[in-house]
Amino acid sequence: MPATLNESDLARLGIETPISRIDRALKQLWENDEAKTRASLINFSIYTEDSSTLASDNDLLDHVAAEHACRALLILALPESQPPRARAWIQALCRPYQGKQAVCSEQISFVLEGGDAAQVQNIVFAQLDSDLPLVVWWQADLTQNFEERFYSRIDTLIIDSSRWSDPARQFDALLAAMRAENVDFDVRDLAWTRSHFMRTALASCFQDAAALQNLAKLKTIRITHLKGQRTTALLLAVWINQRLKTTLELELIEKDSGPALHSLVLEGDGVRGEVRRDCDSSFIHVCTSCGQHEHKDLLPADVDSDAELVSEQLSRFHGSTLYSTMFPLVRAMLK
Amino acid sequence: MPELENPFQETLLSRHRAEPCTVVIFGATGDLTNRKLIPAFYNIAAAGDLPPQFKVVGFARREKTDEVFRAELEAGNRKNSRQGHNDELWGSFAQCIHYHRSEFEDPAGYVKLKLLLDEFDKERGTPANRLFYLASAPEAFKPILEMLRAAGLNEGVGGKWARVVCEKPFGKDLATARGLNDVVNATFDEADTYRIDHYLGKETAQNIMVLRFANSIFEPNWNSRYIDHVQITCAENLGMEGGRGGYYDTAGALRDMVQNHLFQLLTLVAMEPPTDLSADSVRDEKVKVIRALRPLIGPEAVGKNVIRAQYTAGSVDGVARVGYRQEDRVNPESKTEPYVALRLFIDTWRWQGVPFYIRVGKQLPKKATEISVHFKKPPQVPFATSKLIKNSENTLVIRIQPDEGIALRILCKQPGQAMNMQQVKMDFRYSSSFGKASPEAYERLLLDAMAGDATLFARRDEVENAWKFIDEIEKAWHKSDAPPMMHEYPAGSWGPKEADDLLRADGREWRLL
Repeated sequence: MPATLNESDLARLGIETPISRIDRALKQLWENDEAKTRASLINFSIYTEDSSTLASDNDLLDHVAAEHACRALLILALPESQPPRARAWIQALCRPYQGKQAVCSEQISFVLEGGDAAQVQNIVFAQLDSDLPLVVWWQADLTQNFEERFYSRIDTLIIDSSRWSDPARQFDALLAAMRAENVDFDVRDLAWTRSHFMRTALASCFQDAAALQNLAKLKTIRITHLKGQRTTALLLAVWINQRLKTTLELELIEKDSGPALHSLVLEGDGVRGEVRRDCDSSFIHVCTSCGQHEHKDLLPADVDSDAELVSEQLSRFHGSTLYSTMFPLVRAMLK
Repeated sequence: MPELENPFQETLLSRHRAEPCTVVIFGATGDLTNRKLIPAFYNIAAAGDLPPQFKVVGFARREKTDEVFRAELEAGNRKNSRQGHNDELWGSFAQCIHYHRSEFEDPAGYVKLKLLLDEFDKERGTPANRLFYLASAPEAFKPILEMLRAAGLNEGVGGKWARVVCEKPFGKDLATARGLNDVVNATFDEADTYRIDHYLGKETAQNIMVLRFANSIFEPNWNSRYIDHVQITCAENLGMEGGRGGYYDTAGALRDMVQNHLFQLLTLVAMEPPTDLSADSVRDEKVKVIRALRPLIGPEAVGKNVIRAQYTAGSVDGVARVGYRQEDRVNPESKTEPYVALRLFIDTWRWQGVPFYIRVGKQLPKKATEISVHFKKPPQVPFATSKLIKNSENTLVIRIQPDEGIALRILCKQPGQAMNMQQVKMDFRYSSSFGKASPEAYERLLLDAMAGDATLFARRDEVENAWKFIDEIEKAWHKSDAPPMMHEYPAGSWGPKEADDLLRADGREWRLL
């Protein structure tokens, strides 16, 4: 076992169970406590190749399952690790319901040392709650384990393009997968979701009649973002240009701390729209000015943590066709 | 000049976002505003779905300032908001709340209201839509609507719309409903008239159409060939607390609940698939159901198919309750029914011979509203030694409140050597399957009204046809020489024995909730 696997993290995954006995172990889990109700609407799987995220992913599943009853699968694949070995753990993710009962989702966690594409597929496909949609959050780069026989069975693929080590290459891999024959999965990019509140607020900004009439005068976009969220900022900028059917001058400012997207300013001759989120605030400040006319508003900020973003995505069952039109444009900017 | 479109707005389809709007609430100092409307607007704001540059104006008789009005509403919001109360958000939201003092019959008050709304538009730099919400007592509807018309407030400004939302009761019989509709339609077009029925804003009520028309397993069986009967129950475990007796004793269960809420549920269960989901397509199908209700004309037909009753003293949840006629503000010789059970038939090809049993009552053992669809038993059970247990038919239960969800009862073989069958339940609960709480009915309906979607609001012909049917029952009760009896049931029971007999005569039983 590589040194990076922390036994205390593994202990938090629940009861270690031989893979061949998972079904039986799950059954026993439910038989032990009649006050628990098992619920499941989707199969939700996290795939990672980074053992350091095991504990946080485990917490994230607990958070997600509280809002979305699911069969949760946590898969840590360590393709380089030798000798090959597969381990599994089960646990119930429960939350109280009406003070007495508990509504629970099942979580099965796997550590696949030396796990190749075939092994990942076999594990995932064997443990699905049948007839329910499969949502996969692929946290790693789209590596060789992300291959056609796997993604052709996915209903929704969640990615976070801001985490990719080489976004241009990864976008290419994603585009290729989406264009493959017999493949029809929705893509939800957390980097895109992260900008949702900015987009909503910007729409609110330009609902102001005076500002709306001066849209054509806009010249620049200035986005202040957290270090590591460049792709998030680029997606937002591309969307603005696409909506305005123009190419505004773009300035990206990187900050070491604060929210992923801190502020967005659109400016031109005599017209200015600003959307700003202060650190730790649940609200965003919107300010539109046009000559002497000024309009201010306070809007709720969207969620920001990975768990909340994923949960938000799972609440939206329809795919984002808008995103599909955006990311090839971002890909072009990354060249 | 053509109106400019906000290019950033059109792509944000995931949220139900209306255009800038001012809402004027008549009767703004009443319970509904404090308990439901303002918390609904606040929660819409908390979800980020409030239209930009939104304003709400409270219109009422009492003298008070914006600040006092806001403070009163803040206290109400702390108590009633679904998602809790956040001071920062309230601080921003409260800025859009204003108070306008006027008598409902005072023309000058409406002229000043118009000036105020025009002032808001000037601040916005553009005219906004205007929504007039009649939350006042129904007798004030007429003067309010007439004054709105006289002040020209019934017309939108600068290409924007003006709409009216009417709270129930929408009339107390066909004649008053027609009179009211005439007044409303003399002021607002029918397309701009939104008659609110909060039952339709409930998640499960909306889900009935999805359940029926988006799942291929139900619709082929949804007819007289496979369905034995349907029950709709609305039980309340309260009586006339909080001074409700005054109004209730002039209405009764039939007018207060059946004519509107329960008929709305009935139409959703019984309607044909609409050709599309436009408001009028859906409402066209719903009104066909009401028109097809077999009329109950004369005391004999009413006595045979409708049971009315009053509760006598008893206890609910171990707490002693007085009888209906001893309730606060209820006439000691009242002939009003706090309980009614009906057997209805819908004379369409689909529903020929299928009874729809409806019951609604106060001081019943628990609070619950549900629809149960009882399927026919199989023609034979090929297990010689098995005996079908009582009430063993497949039953689909749609729970409207509380604990919204759907359950399907089926028979299964009991484990063991013998071929014994047992009822089991497949149960879907919104609360356990979806972690997020459903929005309050008023949140959905207010957003719909602002966005111009009238699907979940009653149309004039729906209301009038429902009254036409109800009037015949009321006539038999109150205007015939031999009116059907008023029965009794002890508070805390499931209604009068005669209501049980209504189903027993057909070889059926009320579902035990």
